[in-house]
Amino acid sequence: MPLLSVNDLVMYYKTKMGYVRAVDGITFTLDRGESLGIVGESGCGKTSISMTLLRLLPENGEFQRGHVYFDDGSGPVDLIGLPEHEMRKYRWKGISMVFQAAMNSLNPVYTVGDQIVEAILNHYPDTSFDEARAKVAELFKLVGLDPKRMDQYPHQYSGGMKQRAVIALALSCDPKIIIADEPTTALDVIVQDRILKEMKRIQRKLNMGMIYISHDIAVIAEVSDKIAVMYAGKFVELADSVTIFKRPRHPYTFGLMSSFPSITGEKKKLFTIPGEPPNLLNPPPGCRFAPRCPNATKKCSEEEPNFVEIEPGHFLACWNPIKQEGERA
Amino acid sequence: MNGEYILEVRNLKKYFPADRGLFGRVRHFVHAVDEVSFEIKHGESLGLVGESGCGKTTTGKVIVKLEEPTSGELFLSGENVGKYVGPRKRDYHRKVQMIFQDPYESLNPRMTIFDIIAEPLNIHGIGNLKEREERVADLLQEVGLTPPSSFMWRYPHELSGGQRQRVAIARALVLNPTFVVADEPTSMLDVSIRTGIMDLMMELRQAHNMSYLYITHDLAVARYMCERIAVMYLGKIVEISETEELLSNPLHPYTRALLTAVPVPDPEFSRGEPEIMGSVTKPIDPPPRCRFYDRCPIRTKDCETSDHPPLVEILPGHFVACYEVEKRKQG
Repeated sequence: MPLLSVNDLVMYYKTKMGYVRAVDGITFTLDRGESLGIVGESGCGKTSISMTLLRLLPENGEFQRGHVYFDDGSGPVDLIGLPEHEMRKYRWKGISMVFQAAMNSLNPVYTVGDQIVEAILNHYPDTSFDEARAKVAELFKLVGLDPKRMDQYPHQYSGGMKQRAVIALALSCDPKIIIADEPTTALDVIVQDRILKEMKRIQRKLNMGMIYISHDIAVIAEVSDKIAVMYAGKFVELADSVTIFKRPRHPYTFGLMSSFPSITGEKKKLFTIPGEPPNLLNPPPGCRFAPRCPNATKKCSEEEPNFVEIEPGHFLACWNPIKQEGERA
Repeated sequence: MNGEYILEVRNLKKYFPADRGLFGRVRHFVHAVDEVSFEIKHGESLGLVGESGCGKTTTGKVIVKLEEPTSGELFLSGENVGKYVGPRKRDYHRKVQMIFQDPYESLNPRMTIFDIIAEPLNIHGIGNLKEREERVADLLQEVGLTPPSSFMWRYPHELSGGQRQRVAIARALVLNPTFVVADEPTSMLDVSIRTGIMDLMMELRQAHNMSYLYITHDLAVARYMCERIAVMYLGKIVEISETEELLSNPLHPYTRALLTAVPVPDPEFSRGEPEIMGSVTKPIDPPPRCRFYDRCPIRTKDCETSDHPPLVEILPGHFVACYEVEKRKQG
């Protein structure tokens, strides 16, 4: 049994105008030591997946169906069915999260060290204060911060240091899985580079599962073993990262990869995907990408393609995939 | 047209007060832009690249005269702009326009698309209502918001991010500018929308024979959009060269670190370790030495005691501000 297996997860936001289908039938697995990158454009439901996994939904977020099996070795538990007080045991200890704009998620009136100590004492009530302090010092070293800075306040930290502190906070209860939601988006490239390398190193060292969410395919390429491409609430393709980049089968994956400029390789004309992503209040029938897809046929706009395994580990939801011969160098 | 250059910037400085002491006396200054000089050829697009807080947006704002420079000179088609007053100043504002980063903030939510695009015509008293309507319709067509009649009377909130940025571009073009400062016009947009805006900007530049100062933090975007790139660090330009030359042969240690740190969309590509120390600081009353000194991997004793190095042409058209690079070239 993998560490995490998500089956047909569906979560809608209820609004006055109807349901926003943010997470609509998501299926994937994650093993120990594995990192899954979820890439997609803003509003496609990436963040909603993580919020559903942790069951941190806003009031109008309605869970519809599906299962999230978490297995840390003592047998699979369906997180979706758990009562809230049971769920709290898995939140942070089982799955923890580095939020988007995490730099602003630190409390300005407490020292950084105290905030992490608080998290540890909350989840491990038997720990003494001194033990918790010692653990924070260790975590600081792990994420590349000077333990002397424990007693400083967030405003005394730079953006990159705050981000490291938030990562230390996410690691404070020895999670089996860490979800990182655009943790470097607000940072400059040199700081981003350090944080990315740090996260990769820590994930390998602690043999954690990692879900890395970003809109930036270059960042995703750096951190992921396998990549899920998300469009309008659904995964359209999932495979190991080399396959996604070198032999994409879904026209959206291909479009995304070819519309990204790079500083390496030959300078080439970039590809433009026509149109705009659909409104998830009222997504188009059939394949949601069909109205923008160069390969679309009549069937595409009538029947929804299933997310099927076309070769071991390679999942695809498309009626007219890009042919294998169309392989890019 | 006078000479080779549409725009020349000479020793431009912009200092902001960092604090105000008793009786409003300013004791410390942020050296946002510090002795910056460059020129842009007719029809050229120059990329101004750097991390946040390096002064790239301030440079752009001084050029469009949204900020008055502390000192320094600007030349448009060879004419000194600094002394412009009255009608000549208005004329300058016609010829030089700016496109802002955030299309959610830069468009007035209470104005229709027509009012937004026609406002500059109104201010400059150009055309009657009918002519303005025609002009706006033509522009909407040109920026790909078709049919124009279905966009003209709508409000910004009815449009997506990409469409709003197209409106912002149309507004910048309505007075037929010769020079446009584009401040990260695509950084707020999604990948699949971004390429369309970049291609549109390139087409418009050709069609209207304009020149761009393209401000961005993203070297890959600068590569796609610009013939030359200037790299800025704490208010100083540290390297400037043709795009492909800069990317394949970066000479300044900061440029090298920056290029190594950019993630590459290829899982099989392995990058090196950027050689740079510490993190970026604010240029408040910086010491006269090289701005990059504190983070530089190749600094020497001389760097500590000398002034900030001047931009020197190390290779044809490739300027670098670094004593060590200069020395190594000679040695």
